[in-house]
Amino acid sequence: MRIVILAPSIYSETSCAMAAHLAASGHIPIGAIAVSSWDRITLIRKLAQWGPKKFASYARGKLISPNGAESNIDNPHLAEFLRHRGSLFRNLRDVGMAYGFPVAVCANQNSPAAVSLLHQWSPDLIVFSGGNILRQPVLDVPRLGVFNVHLAMLPEVRGMSAPEWSLLKGIPRGITIHFMDAGIDTGPVLQRFELRNAESCTSLLDLRNRLIALGVEKAADVVSALRHGAISAHQQSDIEKDNQHFVIHEWLQARASERLRSNHQPVLTEALRG
Amino acid sequence: MKDSVEAKERENVDSGLADSGVNGASRANSSDDTAGNAAGYFAKALVEATGLLRAPQRLFPLMRAVVSDKLRVTFDRPHLYSYTKTRRSSDDALNGVLGWILRAQRADGGIAAYYSLLTGYAESYPEVTGYLIPTLYDSAAAMHEARAQASAERATQWLLSMQMPCGAFLAGLHGRSQEPSIFNTGQILQGLVRAYRETNDNAILQSAISAGDWLIKMQQLDGSWSGTGAYENSAHTYYTMVAWALAELAEIAGDGGAHGAAAERNLDWALSHFQTDGWVDGINLRGHPNYLHFVAYVLQGTLECGCLRRRDDAIDAVAKPARMLLRKFETHKFIPGAFHADFKSGHGFSCLTGNAQISCVWLRLYELTGDLRYLNAALKMNETLKDLLPKPGGRGISGGVSGSYPIWGRYQPLRYISWGCKFLADALLLERRIVNSFEVGESEALPCAS
Repeated sequence: MRIVILAPSIYSETSCAMAAHLAASGHIPIGAIAVSSWDRITLIRKLAQWGPKKFASYARGKLISPNGAESNIDNPHLAEFLRHRGSLFRNLRDVGMAYGFPVAVCANQNSPAAVSLLHQWSPDLIVFSGGNILRQPVLDVPRLGVFNVHLAMLPEVRGMSAPEWSLLKGIPRGITIHFMDAGIDTGPVLQRFELRNAESCTSLLDLRNRLIALGVEKAADVVSALRHGAISAHQQSDIEKDNQHFVIHEWLQARASERLRSNHQPVLTEALRG
Repeated sequence: MKDSVEAKERENVDSGLADSGVNGASRANSSDDTAGNAAGYFAKALVEATGLLRAPQRLFPLMRAVVSDKLRVTFDRPHLYSYTKTRRSSDDALNGVLGWILRAQRADGGIAAYYSLLTGYAESYPEVTGYLIPTLYDSAAAMHEARAQASAERATQWLLSMQMPCGAFLAGLHGRSQEPSIFNTGQILQGLVRAYRETNDNAILQSAISAGDWLIKMQQLDGSWSGTGAYENSAHTYYTMVAWALAELAEIAGDGGAHGAAAERNLDWALSHFQTDGWVDGINLRGHPNYLHFVAYVLQGTLECGCLRRRDDAIDAVAKPARMLLRKFETHKFIPGAFHADFKSGHGFSCLTGNAQISCVWLRLYELTGDLRYLNAALKMNETLKDLLPKPGGRGISGGVSGSYPIWGRYQPLRYISWGCKFLADALLLERRIVNSFEVGESEALPCAS
C-alpha cells in the first residue's frame, strides 16, 4: 500500500512517531510532506497555544539539543515509537533516512506544488498527522482516502479541545480513526478506541499525550486492516447534528481538569462502541 | 433643514440608532441615503466637531482612544486557536462599568445617553434609564453596592415624574420630544416592573399597568406595533423587547391575562419572521444596516418572552441564529457590527453593545439547554469586551463601553454609551451567577428568567 504522511512540521513528534511506527510495522511510507517550520502562521499559532516560555523551550529542544535525549521529548508516551538503534528520532528527515523515503517541505499542504507532488507519488492512503485544513484537491488524491486520528469519540465530539470537551460532557476518553472529508471531523469512521486506564491520567496534558500515543499505536493496526480488506469505513450516524466544538476557555478547561482529578471515568455504553 | 435633522435625530436616538454627525458623514457615501440627509449629517458632523473648540481639553482623550484602537487593529492577529485573554477580573470590570453608569446619573435621577469624546455628556435618556433599573438592582445584590440601589430608586422616581397621562413615555432624549414612543415605553416598563418587585410600591405598579395598558391599546391586530408611536411608523421585530416587558408585567399584574396575551401575540408575529437560514427579517431600520444591537434585541426579547410564557418554540427559534453567530465568533473571533440582509454580509467593525447582548443570549441559552458551548463562547466574548474597557481616562471614559470597535466604527462613533454599559454589566452579572453556581454545584437550580 502506498502511504504518504502529512505533517505539521518536520519536528512534529507525533508525525515522527507515526511514520516510524508505520514503517516498523511494515508500512513504509513512500514519502512525507511537512509544513515549513518557519511558516509564520504556524509559529504564531504555536506561540499562542503554548506561550513564549514553552515555545522557547520547545525550539531549544528541537534545534539545539543533541540526539537521543529522552528528556527532550515533549510526549514521553511516544518514546517507544521514536527509539531506533539506540537513539531517538529527532525529526522526520531522520525517519526518512532510516527507512528510505523522501521528506518534502512546503509552505502549505494545499499549495499547487504539494498537490502536484502528491499526484506524482499517487498514494493509496494519506495519513494526516497535522498541518493545514485540507482542501478538496488534496482530499481527492489518494485512492482510499486521507485518514486522521481524532482525539475523541466521533460523532459525539468534533472539533478542537476534544479531550477536554469529552471530560466535560462525560463521554469516554478515546480516539477515532476516520477518513477526512470537507467538513470538520465529519468523515466516515474506520474505528474507535477507548483509552484504557484513563482514570490514571495525572493531568490534561498527560491525557492528551496518552491519546496521541494511542492514535500512533492504532494507526498501524488500522492500516494493516485496510491493506487486508478487514475493515471498512462507515458514515457517522448523526452527520447533520452540530457536534462541533471550539477552543476551550481556560475557566472551562480548569473544570475539565477538576473532573479528571476526580477520577471520573464514565462507563462505555454499547451505543458508543464503534 | 435644522428642524428636519433634529427630528431625524430624535427618531434615531429613540431606537438607540447612530445619530452622530461623524456617523452621518460616513453614511453620506451610502447609496440609499438621500442627498438631503447626507448634507444634514455633514452639518451635524461639523456641529459635533465644534465641541472640541468649546472644550479643547477633550483632544487628548480623543487622540488616545483613536491611537489605542488603531494600534490594536494593526497588531491584533487572531487565529483559529486563539482567543482574547485579559488579566482584568470580571468583578473588577463590573465595578468599572457600574462606576461609569453611576457617574452618568444626573441629580434628577436620569442617566445620560452617552459620553461623546467630542461634546461630552448627552442629556438623560429615559429609555435607557428605565431598562438600567434591573441592572442596577442586580449589581446592588451581587456586589453589595448600596449606591446602585439608591441609583435605581432615583431613576424610578424620575421616570414616574415624566409618564404621560395615557401611560406612555416620550421618545428620544429628555426634553427633545413630545411624541409617545412604544419602544421606549416597553423598555421603561422593564424597569418599573423590577422596581415594583423590589419595593412593593403600589404607585410603581399602577404606573407599570398604565404603561402596559397603553401598549395593548397601540398593538395591531397581527400582534405587531406600527403606526403612531412606532419608529418610522413601521413594524419591527426588535419590539419583542416590548413583548418581554409585557410578559414580565403579566407575572405581577394579575390582569386576567391581557398583558401576557399581548406579549404572545407579538411573539407569534416576530416568530413568523425567523427564516429557515437563521436570519431574522423585519428589523426594518430604513436606510440603516441591521446593526447587531438590533439583531440581538430580537433574540433577547424573543428568548426571554418565550421563557416567561413557557414557549419552547421561541427558545428553539432563537437557538439557530445564536448558534450561527457563535460559529462566526469562534471561527473569526469577531461578529460583524452590522449586517445587510443576512448573516453572510457583514460590516468590518464591532458593535460592542450587540456583542454584550449576544453574550447574554448565549449565557441564557446555556442556562436553558445546558450546552456548554454557549458558556464557552460567552466567556470568551466577555474577555474580549473586558479587554476593550478603558481603565484610565476621566469621567465618561473610564469603565465605559464604546459604541464601536474601533472607536470610529459606524455604530455610535467616538462615544461611550450607557446602553452598552448596561448590557456588558448584564453579561458579567450572568457570567458571575453561572460561575458561582458551578462552584456551589447548584447549576440545576438556576432560575428560568434573568
